[in-house]
Amino acid sequence: MSRRWRDLPFAVAFLAPSLLILSAFVLYPLGRAVWLGHQRCDATGANCRSNGWDQYVDVFRSEEFQQALGVTVRFALLTVPVGLALGIALAVLADKHLRGIGFFRTVFSSTVATSVAVASLMWFFLLNPSVGVLADWIGGVAKNPGLLRDEDTALWAVAVSSIWANLGFTFIVVTAGLQSIPAELYESARVDGAGGWTRFSNVTLPMLGPTLLFAGVVLTSRAFQAYGEFDLLTGGGPNGSTTSLTYLVYGNNSIIKNNVGLQAAVAVLLFVVLILLSALQIRGVERRVHYGN
Amino acid sequence: MSVPPHMQRRRRRPVVAVVAVVAAAGCVLLAACGSGRSILEAGNEPRPTTPTTTPATTVPGQTTVPGQTTVPAPTTAPPTTLPRPIDSLPPCDMAALDTAAADGPVEVLFWHGMANELGRELERIVGEFNASQDRVEVRLEFQGGYEQTIDKYLQSDTDNRPDLVQMPEYTVQLMVDTQSNVPVQACMEDIGYDAADILPSALRAYATEGIQWAMPFNLSNPVLYYNKQVFRDAGLDPEAPPRTLDELAEAGRTIQSSGAAAYGIALDSAPDGGGGWFLEQWLAKEGEFYSDNDNGRAAPSTRVLFDGPTGVSLLTALRDVVVNGGGVYVGENPGGTDTFLKLADASAPASMTIATSAALGAVLQFVEGGIIPGIGVDDIGIAPMPSPTGAPGTLVGGASLWITAGRGDAEAAAAFEFVQYLVSAEVQSQWAAATGYVPVNTAAPGLEPLLGVYATDPRFRVAYDQVAETPDLPTSDGPVLGPLREVRVTAAGAMAQILNGADPATALADAASLANALIADYNARR
Repeated sequence: MSRRWRDLPFAVAFLAPSLLILSAFVLYPLGRAVWLGHQRCDATGANCRSNGWDQYVDVFRSEEFQQALGVTVRFALLTVPVGLALGIALAVLADKHLRGIGFFRTVFSSTVATSVAVASLMWFFLLNPSVGVLADWIGGVAKNPGLLRDEDTALWAVAVSSIWANLGFTFIVVTAGLQSIPAELYESARVDGAGGWTRFSNVTLPMLGPTLLFAGVVLTSRAFQAYGEFDLLTGGGPNGSTTSLTYLVYGNNSIIKNNVGLQAAVAVLLFVVLILLSALQIRGVERRVHYGN
Repeated sequence: MSVPPHMQRRRRRPVVAVVAVVAAAGCVLLAACGSGRSILEAGNEPRPTTPTTTPATTVPGQTTVPGQTTVPAPTTAPPTTLPRPIDSLPPCDMAALDTAAADGPVEVLFWHGMANELGRELERIVGEFNASQDRVEVRLEFQGGYEQTIDKYLQSDTDNRPDLVQMPEYTVQLMVDTQSNVPVQACMEDIGYDAADILPSALRAYATEGIQWAMPFNLSNPVLYYNKQVFRDAGLDPEAPPRTLDELAEAGRTIQSSGAAAYGIALDSAPDGGGGWFLEQWLAKEGEFYSDNDNGRAAPSTRVLFDGPTGVSLLTALRDVVVNGGGVYVGENPGGTDTFLKLADASAPASMTIATSAALGAVLQFVEGGIIPGIGVDDIGIAPMPSPTGAPGTLVGGASLWITAGRGDAEAAAAFEFVQYLVSAEVQSQWAAATGYVPVNTAAPGLEPLLGVYATDPRFRVAYDQVAETPDLPTSDGPVLGPLREVRVTAAGAMAQILNGADPATALADAASLANALIADYNARR
């Protein structure tokens, strides 16, 4: 006990830098956001008054929040599974010792160096109904009014752009996971007479478990926090069909723009939703994940 | 070494599990039933009564004759805002600049939202100003656009705000309510500034409660852009573009049936374009107020009026253009490019669109590059904005210059010194010639280079003439609403639904009720 207390000054000294940074950039803003969420302030964020903590409940149940939550969940469901599947497929394809494979690895991972803004602008022009290449190929709704301008297709179109932009990340993570699988496993599977698909489904996928859990959690959290795609591609439209929770908080076309209290409430609720979701994912999936010996 | 048995047993894959968990969580969250109330009401007591009738008919003292456009509500006994005494506002001491400049130039930090060509021209002008004298040194900071400038200004405290900021026309009430500015009127009075050359309507746009808050700088309004070659191909007179909405629809149908182009007009529903801003313009052209209490200029507005008979018939006409032929709807038009790109569409082009005059310089530059096959610089025609009855005139759009209070007397004075330079006839002449903006100085069109531009290229003059032809009516000064940008978004939402075929009266009434909630919420918070 006494020794522990003697260590305390050292402990505090060593912890101080990160504590300081954490409190300034994480804890204080978080606390302030939670506090603001029950208030109503003027457009400059001043003259705040309490509107009761039930503001959180009302925000959660409000039409706008429910719609944005629905958009966000649908966006995650569209992007995460497809993104993971494509990432695994590309990584397995590129996990060969062939001449020139480095070129393909570079290409497949290149989107990791592409910012959301660049990726979105690229897709904005590809999908543009008037001058976009894809619009003329696809025709129909892609031409009039355009995939990003039609209520039924806008979220899908944004999801495609987002999947593409995140593919590099998934590819790199899965490639790293693949390289950590011992070659002996494949050899013995081969000896046991396992074909290509059996080796993939009984060796590769299980051994990738931790990697996929990590990638899945990160991609889900990214999907829930995606903003740039919506801002640049659709501006939350058409008719709110791409107003995600983040767009409801920050977007130029959000009706709670300049309404700090409500913006904070939505942001905090998004935080809670994400925490719950990550906990669910990790608890639900972790039991099924093999971390090796 | 063999595959461990527990791994062989597993049939569900992690990927599947992740999907299942996400789906389950999503369903649980969504199952928590919504209240059906707007987020704006969160935390408030439920309102006892919700007005379901259209507001236009509930005003006492106002009679609505069916089938006729409403007369603006007579101001029999409205709540009135008394003129604010100028002494109650931060003062402006222009002599402070003389004192401070003796020790070297006073630095003025200027935030603006002018991108690309516009930004480069502004940089050039600032450079010339800095080189021309040694009392004031202006430091220009581009904020990324109007919206970013507004956000950053609102969320900053005095120390982190600039000395001078450019704010778009829809922020007048928002800025007044920040109580953070030296009204330019204080500076004008301090040195007896002669504003006789500044466009009166532009000044009025930025004056409320008897105070001139800001100085207009870049003035724009919507104009009709059309493809003259298509007009010729369709047998229409390229020098007689449509002025009324009926003529617009007619011209569009002629173009489409002749096969000269796939579509007549390309319509959009951008909040700062076809969906929001144009609606304000159209109502003003028809001599109607956009919101009550004289567009919020006699007293704070409590509700919008765009869902009245004029708004409904206007949007019905626009919807018919899209539905019955004559035009095409291109969506929310983020970035303002979609309507222009529709004119350049290789397979199914439109031949007309309505857009801000401020884009003219950029559009001509773009076309001059020869990127678009079949459209030359001379094929672009510019005409006044068509309106229901073809009435001339326009609301003042664009942006103005606001001086920040509390950053020092010398800084405020230096900022106004620079403001005087920016609105001088010489600078406005250069600025308007380079950009397509309307000069806010009435002497500017008489000076080179604008004199030459207006003489050789009358297209640049259209927006200027629109301002000059504006009738002298109370409805010619645009709405001042705290949440005007958000109100525009609600109007734009209605416009989008209507151009997709929805019933105009219903869509407008829904948008108006949301807009009124926004106004009530704003007024309760300020």
